[in-house]
Amino acid sequence: MIRVLFLVIAVTGLASALATVLIKNLVRAALALAGFFFAVACLFVLLEAEFLAALQVLIYVGAVSILLMFGIMLTRGVQGTDPASRPSAWRLPGVVIGLAVFALLGYAIFQETGLGTQRAWGAIDPRPAIARGTVEPGAPRRRAINDMGKVVGVELMTRYVVAFELAGLLLTAALVGAVAVAHREDDEPSRGEPSRIPSDPPITTSP
Amino acid sequence: MIELLDPTSPLVWAQSQAVDLGWGLALRWGLWLVVGFLGLFPGIVAYMVWLERKAAARFQDRIGPNRVGPLGLLQPIADAIKLLTKENLVPAGADGLVHLAAPVLVIVSAFLMLAVIPFAVGMAPVDLPSGLLYLMAASSLSPLGVFLAGWSSRNKYSLLGAMRAVAQLVSYEIPQVLAVIPIVLWGGSLSLVAIFDKQVEFGWFIASPPGLLAFLIMLIASIAELNRTPFDIPEAESEIIAGYHTEYSGMRFGLFFLAEYLSVFAVGCLVTALYLGGGMPLPLVRFPMNLLGDSLPRLILVDMVLLAVFMFKVLLFILFMFWVRVTLLRLRVDRLMNFAWKYLTPLAIVNILFAGIWYECVIRAGVLTLGGWLWGWVVTGPLVVFAVWLVVWINRRLLLGGPAGVGRPSLGGTRVDAGAAPG
Repeated sequence: MIRVLFLVIAVTGLASALATVLIKNLVRAALALAGFFFAVACLFVLLEAEFLAALQVLIYVGAVSILLMFGIMLTRGVQGTDPASRPSAWRLPGVVIGLAVFALLGYAIFQETGLGTQRAWGAIDPRPAIARGTVEPGAPRRRAINDMGKVVGVELMTRYVVAFELAGLLLTAALVGAVAVAHREDDEPSRGEPSRIPSDPPITTSP
Repeated sequence: MIELLDPTSPLVWAQSQAVDLGWGLALRWGLWLVVGFLGLFPGIVAYMVWLERKAAARFQDRIGPNRVGPLGLLQPIADAIKLLTKENLVPAGADGLVHLAAPVLVIVSAFLMLAVIPFAVGMAPVDLPSGLLYLMAASSLSPLGVFLAGWSSRNKYSLLGAMRAVAQLVSYEIPQVLAVIPIVLWGGSLSLVAIFDKQVEFGWFIASPPGLLAFLIMLIASIAELNRTPFDIPEAESEIIAGYHTEYSGMRFGLFFLAEYLSVFAVGCLVTALYLGGGMPLPLVRFPMNLLGDSLPRLILVDMVLLAVFMFKVLLFILFMFWVRVTLLRLRVDRLMNFAWKYLTPLAIVNILFAGIWYECVIRAGVLTLGGWLWGWVVTGPLVVFAVWLVVWINRRLLLGGPAGVGRPSLGGTRVDAGAAPG
C-alpha cells in the first residue's frame, strides 16, 4: 500500500515537474510548480517528517508560488499567453545542464554514507510510535519524529550552520539583486525638478 | 497490510507503527470524516449564515429571514437547494480546469484547518506533533485558490480582486503567524493538544499582557485573512462587483461561500484553542479537567462540559465577527497595507520578546503561583502598553512628517499636492 502511495506521489510529482517546464501558459506552469511542491511535501510525509512537510506547504505552496503568480501578474503577459516565453536556442544547453545536475545528485545520493553515529541515508527502520512528554534520551530518531521542530532547529544551528548561513547570504544577495534589477533611474524623480508622475486628480463628491 | 508491517520491504517508512491503521482508528477517522466534515461542519456553516443574517438584521433594525419555517430556520436549507440546482455558468474565455480547481482548493484549505482542532479531551480529529504548523500551512493554501479564481475567470474585476486579495492575504499572514509564536513558546510544543494541556496548567494564554496583545493582533489579522469587513477590499462590491468570485455561479459560488464561513468557524476554533483556553470555563481554574478520572462516564461528562464551553466561545467569536462586519467601514487599500506592515508586524515582533519575559516570570517555574503570575503582569503589562503607544506614536510622527496628503484622509478637492507639477 505504501509502495503504491509512493509511486502515485512520485509519478504525480514528476508529471507536474515536467508540466512546469513544458506548458506554455505561464500561470498554468506556475500552478504545476505548486503541484510539484505539494508532491514534495507528500514525500516528506512518507519520510516521517510532517514538520518539514508542513513547512514545505507553508513556504513553497503558500508563499513562493503565490509570489510567483504575483510576479506573473506584473508582467505584460497577464493572461499567460506571452509568445516570448517559447523555448529558444538555449534548449540544448539547458537539457545538458539539467542532465548533468541530475547525474551529480544521483551520484551524491548513492555515495552517501552515515556520518558519525548517524546511519546511512538508505537505511530503513520501522517508525517508532508518537509519544508526547518526556522521551528517553537515547532515541534520537524517536525524538526527531515527536519533537521535530526542536531537532530541526538544533541541527540547523550546529551541523548545517554553514549551509544555513550561506542560504541566508544567497537570499539576501537575491533580494538586493532583485531591487537593483527592478530599480530604474528614469523612474526616480530627480532632485530639484518637479516630478513627472502626474498627481492623482482631486477627489470630488459631485457626479 | 502485510507489506506494511514487513520490515524487509524497502518502502516501510511511513507511519508503520505510529499510526497503525487498525479498524478502530479507521472507524474514528471515518466518523470524523462522515459526521464531522461532511455533515456537521457544513450544517454549522449553514446556520452561521442564518445567524449572520439575523444578527445583521437586528443591527440594522430589520427582521431578517422569517418566511421559510419558524424564525426563518429553514432558510439555509432552501438556500442550499437553490445553490445546488442553479445553473453553473463558466465564461467562454475562462480557463476551464483552473476555474474548477480554484473553489475546490479554497474549500479544501478551510476543511483541512479543522483537522487538528482539539474540541475536547480525546476529540481532536488528528493530533499531530506539529499540528499548529500544519494548520498554518493548510490556511496558507487559500490565497492560491483565490488567486486562481480571479485569474481563470478572464474578467478584469476578478483579476483586480485577486490581486488585492493576494496582496492583503500575504501581508496579513505575517502578523498572524508571528502572533502565534508566543503560544508556541509558552506551550513548548506545536501540538494543539499539548498547548491546551499547558493552558490547563498555567491559565488561559489570553490572561497575560503579551497573550492579550497577541490575541488582538491575531484577531485583526485573521479578520483580514478571512476577507471580511472592514478588510473586504478583495470583494468590495461597490468597486469591483464581487472581486475574485464575480464569474462564479451555482454550486461553485456556493463552495466559495461555504469556504468563507467555514474559515470563520475554523479561525474561531483556532483562536479558542490557542488563546481562550479551549473548553475551560474559567481562566486559572482547572475545572473541569480535575474531574477527569479513568472511568468512561467521567470522561464523557468532562468532554460534554469542554465541548459546550468550546462551542460557546466559538459562537461568541463568530458573533463578534458579525458585529464588526455590520459596524465598521471598509478600509482604504494603502491604509490596509500600512496597518499590516507598520503597526501589526512590529508589534508582533516586539511581543515575542515580552512573551519571553512572561515565560521567565510565570511558566519557567513549572507551577503556577499567584505571586509569579502577578509579577508577570507587573513586568510585562507596562511594557506592552508602552510598545503599543510607541508604535502608534512613531507612525503618527511619520505620517505628519511625510508629504501632505499622504496617508491622510482628504475631502473634496482640498488636498494639497506638494511638489507636483500640474499635468
